[in-house]
Amino acid sequence: MRPDHRPALFGRVAWHAVLVVCCLLTTFPVLWALITSFKGPADVFSANPIPSPVTLENYAAVLSGWPVLPLIANTFVMSAGVALGQIVVAVLAAFALVELSPRLRPAILVAATVALVIPPQAIVIPQFLLATRLGWLNSPVGLIVPQLGAAALAVLLLVQHVAEVPRSHVEAARLEGARSGEVLWHVVLPALRPAIAAVGILVFITTWNEYLWPLLIAPRAENATVQIGLAQFQTEGGTDYGALMAAATLTSLPIVLVYLLASRRVTDAFLQSGLRT
Amino acid sequence: MTARLRAWPYLAPLLILLGVWVYGPAVFTVVLSFLDWNLTTPPVGVVGLDNYAALWRHPEFAQSLVQTVLYALVLLPFSTVVPLALATLLWSRPGRAAEIYRAILFLPVILAPVAVAVAWRFLLNPLQGLVNEMLGALGMPPGNWLGDPATALVVIVVITAAKVVAFNMLLYGATLASIDRRVVEAARVEGATALDVARSIVLPHVARPTVVLALLSLVLAGQWTFTNISVLTQGGPDGATDNVFYRIYTLGFTFFEIGEASAAAVVLLAGFIVVALAWGLVRRVSRAT
Repeated sequence: MRPDHRPALFGRVAWHAVLVVCCLLTTFPVLWALITSFKGPADVFSANPIPSPVTLENYAAVLSGWPVLPLIANTFVMSAGVALGQIVVAVLAAFALVELSPRLRPAILVAATVALVIPPQAIVIPQFLLATRLGWLNSPVGLIVPQLGAAALAVLLLVQHVAEVPRSHVEAARLEGARSGEVLWHVVLPALRPAIAAVGILVFITTWNEYLWPLLIAPRAENATVQIGLAQFQTEGGTDYGALMAAATLTSLPIVLVYLLASRRVTDAFLQSGLRT
Repeated sequence: MTARLRAWPYLAPLLILLGVWVYGPAVFTVVLSFLDWNLTTPPVGVVGLDNYAALWRHPEFAQSLVQTVLYALVLLPFSTVVPLALATLLWSRPGRAAEIYRAILFLPVILAPVAVAVAWRFLLNPLQGLVNEMLGALGMPPGNWLGDPATALVVIVVITAAKVVAFNMLLYGATLASIDRRVVEAARVEGATALDVARSIVLPHVARPTVVLALLSLVLAGQWTFTNISVLTQGGPDGATDNVFYRIYTLGFTFFEIGEASAAAVVLLAGFIVVALAWGLVRRVSRAT
């Protein structure tokens, strides 16, 4: 190797080294939890990173002794419901703000932005009182509808995409006598598909991970979400760490799968949400 | 029918949801803060500013306020300098490897905070946890990480920091992507070092997003810690990890002191309004210059 290549090689090795260390630092606890979930009771606490022997007994214990599948089902219903509901509300509003009444746009976008900035803890008491008064305690409706109030973010994201739909397409449909609903359905909606997918993924993941609202509105075990179930499992069965780690792994699995399959799309969706703020 | 009238049916769902579940509750929080209401009984009556006075009498609230600021200050470098350094590192060598590192580093944003907190609790187990085992192997004394006020706060900060770094790394990455690489190459050809490039090309580019992210983190830092506090310490030991966000929850849903909790929420809202006004001012000034 020629001497002038050495700094470049050193730089490359240092670059990889720093990033590998950073990756380990931020993901180590989760990695260790994953490893531990395959360890038997004898070596749960051992510092050996390779389970000996590799066992699935923790998973068997969790699946038989803990309602993990109902919890996942509850969480799926909530996350899908919130994602779908927010998309419908946001598409309608974004369409109205771009195509029907652009003059309302600044005022309503400000109202949406302010709604996003209000900390959930500051308004959660009246939300809870209202939801319980409506009889929504421990129900899917109670989990879903109040979280639709967060559709403001979806609106902010979708307004830009509706604005990018070519005017000529909309005008052409109008000239052919299409009503607003038809323009939305046949012209705007097809163009929005990628944006809707991105918003859907973003809302689904953040709702899956939501903690405060499900904790308050669905405390009963049959109606709880995975986050609440896991937190309870931790305080009740705290000593069986192998099973606890298996439970943590199982409840994170659906989200991690989505991320593995579409990591670029997921990061792009989060990116857009961050750039708005 | 005019276009504007036709817009309302499309806007109605959003406006109703915002009114019923965001703005209505915000107003109602203020109303509740003037009532004496323990959730177990009907509201007793209007008590004026008594709830605010009660907050002031209880040192826990002042402590939670101080610690909200403390969290924000401690998390500040993790929302600015650290993610900027990481994003610059990734940006300096684009390619498949950088993509993979980026995807891994972003994981803390995706992973459920409860699962992450549970994993941490296991590592920090005072009797047999891996952290204490490692310290023991190095001949150092074990720590009671979540039981000791000083270390408990550090634990909450560290867990939260991983998430903040991950998210802001992504935002900085997008900002850096807009830098023209030909400018960088030209500078390198002229003999500029990596540090020169960072100082005279990257830094001017990221100055404005850094101000925004810093402000945002000051506002949101307390909120990001909520789940970690709830799962790991419940604000303890001795209120060492408490902040306003968790205090509101404790007052409202552990003690059922609706009036006092609402008064705390109003204090928090007032703080947000002040920051929002300051933000508006900063934006106006930065636009004018």
